[in-house]
Amino acid sequence: MEIPYEVKPRRDTGLYNAKLGVWLFLASEVMLFGGLFSAYVFLRAGVQEGVDNPWPWGLNVHKGFVWLGFLNTLVLIASSVGVVFAWVALKERNWRKYQLYMYFVVACALVFMCVKGVEYNSKLNKHHGIKLVDNSVMEGAILDKTDRIRFEGTKAVFGLQGAHPAFLKDISDEKFPTFTATVQFKEDEEPIVTEISSESQLKKWFTQHRRIAAKKLTAERTRYRKELESGNAKPVNLNTSATLVSSEPFNVNAKPTKVVGHSDTSVNYRDGSKVEGKLISDDVKFVMHEVDLQLVLPQKQRDSIVWEVIGDDHAKKQFFAKQQEEYKKMREYYEGRGETIPDKMLRGHMLNLHYIDHGDHGHDGDHGDEPHKSEAKHSASEGDGEHHDYITVPRDKIKFMGNHGPRYGNYYALYFTMTALHGLHVVGGALVLLFFTVFGKKLYLKNPEHLANRVEVGGLFWHFVDLIWIFLFPLMYLL
Amino acid sequence: MSEEVHDWDSHKKTYWAVGIALFVFTFVTLILGIWEPLDLGPPGPTPADYVIGLAVAGTKASLVALIFMHLNHEKGLIYKTLLFTFLFFVSLMALTLFAAADPIVESYDTRETTNGKLTE
Repeated sequence: MEIPYEVKPRRDTGLYNAKLGVWLFLASEVMLFGGLFSAYVFLRAGVQEGVDNPWPWGLNVHKGFVWLGFLNTLVLIASSVGVVFAWVALKERNWRKYQLYMYFVVACALVFMCVKGVEYNSKLNKHHGIKLVDNSVMEGAILDKTDRIRFEGTKAVFGLQGAHPAFLKDISDEKFPTFTATVQFKEDEEPIVTEISSESQLKKWFTQHRRIAAKKLTAERTRYRKELESGNAKPVNLNTSATLVSSEPFNVNAKPTKVVGHSDTSVNYRDGSKVEGKLISDDVKFVMHEVDLQLVLPQKQRDSIVWEVIGDDHAKKQFFAKQQEEYKKMREYYEGRGETIPDKMLRGHMLNLHYIDHGDHGHDGDHGDEPHKSEAKHSASEGDGEHHDYITVPRDKIKFMGNHGPRYGNYYALYFTMTALHGLHVVGGALVLLFFTVFGKKLYLKNPEHLANRVEVGGLFWHFVDLIWIFLFPLMYLL
Repeated sequence: MSEEVHDWDSHKKTYWAVGIALFVFTFVTLILGIWEPLDLGPPGPTPADYVIGLAVAGTKASLVALIFMHLNHEKGLIYKTLLFTFLFFVSLMALTLFAAADPIVESYDTRETTNGKLTE
């Protein structure tokens, strides 16, 4: 069937159908992104200085990301220009030129997504932050997943309900330990004992016994309901928990987000499962880049916990020297206008600790593991042989820690939502344009104007994607 | 088929000019954002910075919309559609004003605050 008005405009609308369609679609897209931009305005305007997480802005915080964002803006604009010229080439009936321009556009989209990938990787895997209990913030990188609670388990207890027990994923041994699983539904029953030597076996065993437990529970409830009628009901009494005992200790690296609490002898997971054994370490090893005291009152900044954790007087001195410099600049600005400095401006500033000379590096082998308690700095080498100075952060001093992912703050939540949605549009648009380029020849030979119209419509979408980025760049990276 | 014989060369010139203008404005955005002497008001983003930053972005966006998306000469139906979009978009942004009229003053922070401001 021939679709009408692909080339010729309809008399009542004055447009060919696809064009009206894409404009209606773009109108709805405006509302989709509009909702997110409105969320941006709402959250950003609502930041309470000194109470909420500070909104990261400017080169000071975004550093290399500004340049990546800038590069991406240029790339998208270039691609937008490319799409227009591809369309003009079609109008001039120049297939070769059209194809070249279109491949250029698709290549731009590819570059854009790669740069985005670099940014995401950096935010999600390379940058972490730790907020201490007094709201001072340390920015840097957590070393070797030491945010996890390192634990040596011998026994695990969990319920035979719901999903697989949470600790299962955190077992870090290469060889799965041999477990003896015990379930005893009722006190007067024989316990069911099973030997388990692999993870898949354990999962299978879990599913099986979960089913048995469910059946038994149903039976118990039916009994209880019947007994209620006779007026003499014994309460439901069924033990649906299972115990795993391992022959040799197994290593658990518990993810802190899954854990409710832990002590020297046990780790309690959110799903109710529990591992018993011995705590190896719960200290976080942290490669420090910056200190941020914006959430600490100016008069309390010198006694902040962060200095105790860092244990480096030189760094502290540098921080406050730099802060004084900033204050001086600000004072000059405000006094020049005959005003006093607003309270929020007296907050702390980021300090880059990369440039600080730490003095002596490395360990002295003779001193054993902990030469002096006061020296909080250690040196660790990673797989690539690169040395990092790290500090040890006691877990009880930490209020929050995490990578710069969506849950790190409102800014990051919005950043990831908006740029990821925009990225999806880039991928979708590029695929459509690629389709027109690779498979367009047949249509071009049959009716070049029809293909030109398709490219125009695809191009309209592409320009819209560019248009969104034009706003995202200053809002996310600069302002 | 050939309902119009267009002068594509003049169009091409416009498109190049717009492309270059967009590049230039991107540099302007960047410099406004990172070069301290151009930072209006006290250090950090201030309302003046937002206005100028968004004005530059708005200029770029209108160039794209008007020239690349041919909105400078389009059929009436599209303008009518976009008028509705515009109205809805503006009201969506205006929704945030309700937040300004009804601020959350209690803080979840443990420090002493009165009316959302630190007492010290």
